[in-house]
Amino acid sequence: MMKLLKKIKLQTLLSALLVLAIGCSDKLDEPELNNNFAGGTDFTQTEDMVLSLIGVYEAFQSRGWEQPLLIAVRGDDVNAGGLGDQQDFAETDLFNYNKDYWMYNSLWENVYVDVITAHTAMEQIQRYQEVADAEGKALGDQYIAEAKVLRAIMLFHISQVWGDVFIPTSSETSELFELESVPTQDEVMQHISDQMDEAIPHLPVMHPNERTDLPGGVTVYTALAIKALANQELENYQAVADACAQIINSGEFSLFPDFYELFKIPGKLSDEMILSMQYSDFGQGEGDREAHLYAPYGPQNWTPAVEGASSGWGFFEPSMKFIKFMLDRGETVRLETSVLFTDRGIAEIQADPNYSDLPGFVSNTTRDGDVINDYARALFASGKHYLPSNQLIPGRTAYGSNKNYNIIRYAEILLMYAEALTHGATGSGMTADQAVNMVRERAGMPPLTGVTLDQVLDEKYAELSMEWGKRYYDMVRLGRTDELSYDGRTFTPDKAFLPYPQAQVDQFPILQQAQDQ
Amino acid sequence: MKIKSILLSIPLLLLSAFALAQNNIAVTGTVTDNQGQPLPGASVVLKGTTTGVQTDFDGNYALADIPGSGTLVFSYIGFSTQEVPVNGRTVINVALEEDTQALDEVVVVGYGELKVKDLTSSITTVDSEVLDLAPVGQPMQALQGRVAGLQIVNNGGPGQSPTVRVRGIGSYNTGASGPLFVVDGAFFNDIDFLNPADIASISVLKDASAAAIYGVRAANGVVLIETKSGKFNQKPQITYDAYTGYQIPQNVLTMANAEQFTTLALESESEPDAEFILNAMQRYGRSRINPNVPDVNTDWYDEIMRVALIQNHSLNMTGGTETATYAIGANYFDQGGILKMKNEYERFNLRAKIDFQVTDWLKVGGNMVLSNATRFDAEDSAWRQAYYAVPILPVFDPILAEDPDVFPTPYANAQNLGYRGGQNPFPTMDFSENREKIRNTLANFYAEIDLIEDKLKFRTAYNHNFRSVNRREVRLPFFLGDNFQREDASLLKRNVTISNQIWDNTLTYTQTFGKHDLTIMGGTSFRDEAFDLLQARGLNFPLSGEEAYFLDQAQTIVIAGTGDDGAREYGLSYFGRVSYNFDNRYLLYGTFRADGTNKYQEKWGYFPTIGAGWVVSEESFFPQNDVLNYLKLRGSWGKLGNDKVPSSEGSITSEVVTTALGDILFSGLNTSSDFTALKWEVTEETNVGLSARMFNNNLSIEADYYVRDTEDAVIPVLRPLIPGATRQNVGEIRNTGFELALNWDKRVSEDFSYSIGGNFATLTNEVLGLGGAEFLDAGTAEFRQRSIVGESLFAFYGREVIGVYQNDAQIQADPVAVANDLEPGDFIYRDINGDGDITDDDRTVLGSFLPTYSFGFNLGFNYKNWDFSASAIGQGGNSILNRKRGEVIFTNDTNWDRDFAINRWHGEGTTNSYPSSKGIRKGWNQRLNNWFIEDGDFFRLQNITLGYTINKGQAINGLPQVRIYATAEKPLTIFDYNGFNPEVPNGVDNQTYPVPAVYTIGVNVKI
Repeated sequence: MMKLLKKIKLQTLLSALLVLAIGCSDKLDEPELNNNFAGGTDFTQTEDMVLSLIGVYEAFQSRGWEQPLLIAVRGDDVNAGGLGDQQDFAETDLFNYNKDYWMYNSLWENVYVDVITAHTAMEQIQRYQEVADAEGKALGDQYIAEAKVLRAIMLFHISQVWGDVFIPTSSETSELFELESVPTQDEVMQHISDQMDEAIPHLPVMHPNERTDLPGGVTVYTALAIKALANQELENYQAVADACAQIINSGEFSLFPDFYELFKIPGKLSDEMILSMQYSDFGQGEGDREAHLYAPYGPQNWTPAVEGASSGWGFFEPSMKFIKFMLDRGETVRLETSVLFTDRGIAEIQADPNYSDLPGFVSNTTRDGDVINDYARALFASGKHYLPSNQLIPGRTAYGSNKNYNIIRYAEILLMYAEALTHGATGSGMTADQAVNMVRERAGMPPLTGVTLDQVLDEKYAELSMEWGKRYYDMVRLGRTDELSYDGRTFTPDKAFLPYPQAQVDQFPILQQAQDQ
Repeated sequence: MKIKSILLSIPLLLLSAFALAQNNIAVTGTVTDNQGQPLPGASVVLKGTTTGVQTDFDGNYALADIPGSGTLVFSYIGFSTQEVPVNGRTVINVALEEDTQALDEVVVVGYGELKVKDLTSSITTVDSEVLDLAPVGQPMQALQGRVAGLQIVNNGGPGQSPTVRVRGIGSYNTGASGPLFVVDGAFFNDIDFLNPADIASISVLKDASAAAIYGVRAANGVVLIETKSGKFNQKPQITYDAYTGYQIPQNVLTMANAEQFTTLALESESEPDAEFILNAMQRYGRSRINPNVPDVNTDWYDEIMRVALIQNHSLNMTGGTETATYAIGANYFDQGGILKMKNEYERFNLRAKIDFQVTDWLKVGGNMVLSNATRFDAEDSAWRQAYYAVPILPVFDPILAEDPDVFPTPYANAQNLGYRGGQNPFPTMDFSENREKIRNTLANFYAEIDLIEDKLKFRTAYNHNFRSVNRREVRLPFFLGDNFQREDASLLKRNVTISNQIWDNTLTYTQTFGKHDLTIMGGTSFRDEAFDLLQARGLNFPLSGEEAYFLDQAQTIVIAGTGDDGAREYGLSYFGRVSYNFDNRYLLYGTFRADGTNKYQEKWGYFPTIGAGWVVSEESFFPQNDVLNYLKLRGSWGKLGNDKVPSSEGSITSEVVTTALGDILFSGLNTSSDFTALKWEVTEETNVGLSARMFNNNLSIEADYYVRDTEDAVIPVLRPLIPGATRQNVGEIRNTGFELALNWDKRVSEDFSYSIGGNFATLTNEVLGLGGAEFLDAGTAEFRQRSIVGESLFAFYGREVIGVYQNDAQIQADPVAVANDLEPGDFIYRDINGDGDITDDDRTVLGSFLPTYSFGFNLGFNYKNWDFSASAIGQGGNSILNRKRGEVIFTNDTNWDRDFAINRWHGEGTTNSYPSSKGIRKGWNQRLNNWFIEDGDFFRLQNITLGYTINKGQAINGLPQVRIYATAEKPLTIFDYNGFNPEVPNGVDNQTYPVPAVYTIGVNVKI
């Protein structure tokens, strides 16, 4: 009896275990939780397509502080500042390059990761388009065109810094291992120009600030502006003139009357803006905030008009050469807007007897009442990256919080157009004189007639200083390298581009070959 | 064997016959364990005869007609045999010592037990006494240096678990290389909730053959933990144990003082740095001793550290009747942190374990551990800030105290001297609080049914571990300057719950026929692991105190601060084991496990193992002798899996991002394109070893050699072009090692016994393959670690310093120095490829973070009522990247350690190995080179304990046995490394919590 009982026990147990095993094995097919499996995205929801595009804008606007700084530091308009700190950043300004320096690799890989994000988004949008109706397809084409434009300006900056760089064609970066040579700078610029031609038919024809779906987003004029920039690098001046003329003739753009406020809150998405990275405190004194770290541009010591406002690091110092150039020209608002002066810096200017008498705006107090105190690491700080403390939303204290970062504005289009004409291109908009004088008029400068290339370049120097190294790349493009050998530095043409970051050379030996050529 | 022992005993017989003739007496007494618990059924035999008896239920015995000059042999399974000369006494009470080396001892091996003598694999068991010695909150900390091949890297933070590695690392994923902990059958990654005093034994299953029964979870080794239980027929015993003491910072890194710092700043030839010194003199005055130095000399480490308390109280009761056993206990543990901020750990544990013999065929039982802990985590960044903060900055600034805007405390701000950052670590410490409430419940129930008496047994066990971790991070506002302020009070709440269930069913069949001994086990296991996370962040709540630390009190909830996550993993396994013993001479062992999981595309993995042993000393040809008493040769092979590799990279994923367009907050999606299909890592290991007992079993020897290969190792592969890495199954890695453990145990007399033990292990790590690539990079671009085929994994990779330029003539003579604008005081690098130029092709392997050897010693004495023990550990062959120095690349605004301040190059002939103060600010010298890589060798006195016991062995008389003891834990560590502590988990030191020395006194009362 007992034995029988035990047998029954055993059989029951074994069959129970078997049932359990079968029951449980279904669980092995359970998917991973909390994961938006992009592979499982419902691509029939065409209205979700915009999410991928917003992702590209986010990537484009998420620039780390050192990236614009490194792109811009080498011109004769600006010095590294931050003496004694970030030695290799200062050495870069002196054209002594260290390819192991962390900023180089950071700029390279963080811009490229956003380029790749643009590719991934375009690939996602294409999948929506496969099942979308005609309207949805057209919208998808527009979104892809926008992503192409944002990708293009990022590639443009990378190529300005390094010359020959990779052109990714999809989100699959391992494809680059197959390359036999690195595309030349000309090929990259031509690619950018071609991409803009592809994008233009699909983009909205309006001022970016007229866009209601994505305010300040890409329009046909953004693409034309980038096309002009790329062709300028290619010295294809007729294409520059044509693209600029289209922008000028559209009548959508005008110069913001107040040059000082253009770079501050009133200038956000003004009629002059063609492309900017946008940041915001969303009108609130606390909580969500999308921001760029402007501190590197700010003075390291100040007494702000509004107590508690943060100062900066002093890593971006307008050069004495630039200041004297501006004083020589009798510039007013453009110099006041471009430079924050310290007493020590003013004394240094006055040490030169030719400049002992300075105009009243050369003062350590800005027109908004912020007092720039002396600090050891620099004599001046960048004014275009300065936001007066009284423009901060009460409760916010970060330097430059809520301020947009301009990339392309209408004044540059006018000057690019004028320069192209002085190189011999045919203008289909206004004359070179008209274009230059529009810019000069806003700056309170008397008009010119029969402008020469030199005059246009001086105008660019005065107008676009401290902005994205535009001055440096102009001088390199035109071979005016004497200008870059100033204040004890010596520029030689082999210093035009940074060496590739060592971490990248380790991955792509092909870069070493490109470097050695 | 029998014949031999009879032969041997003839002379003794004669001797005793002689004694008999002289003076025979009657002897009585009690046999207890060393805790005073009576041992029923112990054998008491007159040496050299068959005359003997067994003790009764109370441990009593009586022998009549014994020669007064004879010797009694007391023995009991699991205890060391003791010989006691009668010397004419009529009452002989004996306390037997538990013998961890006893061959009849059983060890838990996972879903069952095996006798030590039947083992063919490498298992080290550590019993509770070792755990009792060290005043630590986490059980694994006590094992440091106790087990050959087990590396424990401590973290000094209160309540922080150590990093545990078994035989190197089998997997190369952060957080995935720790062993599996099995507590009474339940699986854990972390056993921080356990009270060390509740643990009866810890078994470390080191080789694949031992661990393979845990299949997919076993690749990094398995640590089996059994909690204490009562015994049947045991009188209740109440134990109270308490200790209290101090944790004292030790080996504090000395930084440059104000004078040295001033010298470095001036020698840097950097104008701003000289000006900062002047600023400090203007603001704080000039030193009266040296008027060129500011009158401030802050030793930041000294300022931020304190002596912290540690205390522990445990109350336990164990006992049993004929049908039930019980063990219940409570424990309170409290550990302060040596960092001066809200930084402490407090844990309260309750537990109960009960077993019932319901009928002769049914046994049931259950175990509950409830743990409630609160941990205040240190802000580890304070350690870095203290390293970098300049000594010319005071803690408090009297000028700021006058400033009405400054609140709440006038801590000095280095920006007032001109530096970029505020530097002072106190705001980080004072205005931050990180609290974690960790509640852990482990419950398990089992039933054992004898289906065929003594032959076939069925066991079902259900385990549930429920853990909730409530984290609260508070950041309070402060203002010490424009750029040294926190504008908003912020509050983060994060609740994590983990619910893990395991249901195991096993059938075990045992059969003995003739000389054959066979055990077969088969079973199934079902696992269900669930994880949930919810978090939110709020800003600006009332600053009235802790009662306002609630999101409801916050004015703003930050959209970007909310999070919700979950995971659910299932596992299903079938496993079996065969263990066979022929005549105690030949041993065979095999296990097999099939594991299924929902984690990977590849659902099932299969993990077999086999082992064999030969007990040479049992062979008839083996001469019986007193030197080599026992010798076993063993070998095993097995395969293991690792499923700790995160599964999230098995698909294309999207993440929600936000951005601003036209001052409107938009949400979008970023899709990641780094698709990598992962599968399990598989580890294959071969182990050969020997076990021996020598010199009358006083010396035990365990020696092992292993080769462990991990195939399809999941390794982070840098993504081409863009930052980050993806994990891919591309590695093939080999760990080989030799392990030796020696233990000498000797009971010299009833009053005096001693033991000496030592262990030694080597480890060689080698990359065998990388999926076709010659090397793979890891680390960061600035601090490169590279895995090269044939070298150690993640080796530090950079330039080799061969000297320092001493003078201009040397510079002029070296084209490299001229081309790179070098000066005296800059490094000379080795031209490794010999092309006459120094480029990045001249980089080489500079060292590995894995120690190539490690050792431990321990020593114990018992003399009458005194006991003493000491242990020491050490390791060598590993390198540490001193990233604290290396981060000068990110800013120069820092102080330096005194080693650099003293040894820097400052003129011809001063040094040929350190750069100048100016030089270290240049990119040329900052490139990763072996100046930043330092030796990690160390030797440490791990533990010294001295105890005195009152009423020793008097428990049977109802007297409480009281042991009073004093302990010094880690009182001395010797090393060269320029840091607090050579224990750096991954070899890259940028901020580690130093491990303090701990001095305690304690009392242990048994009733």
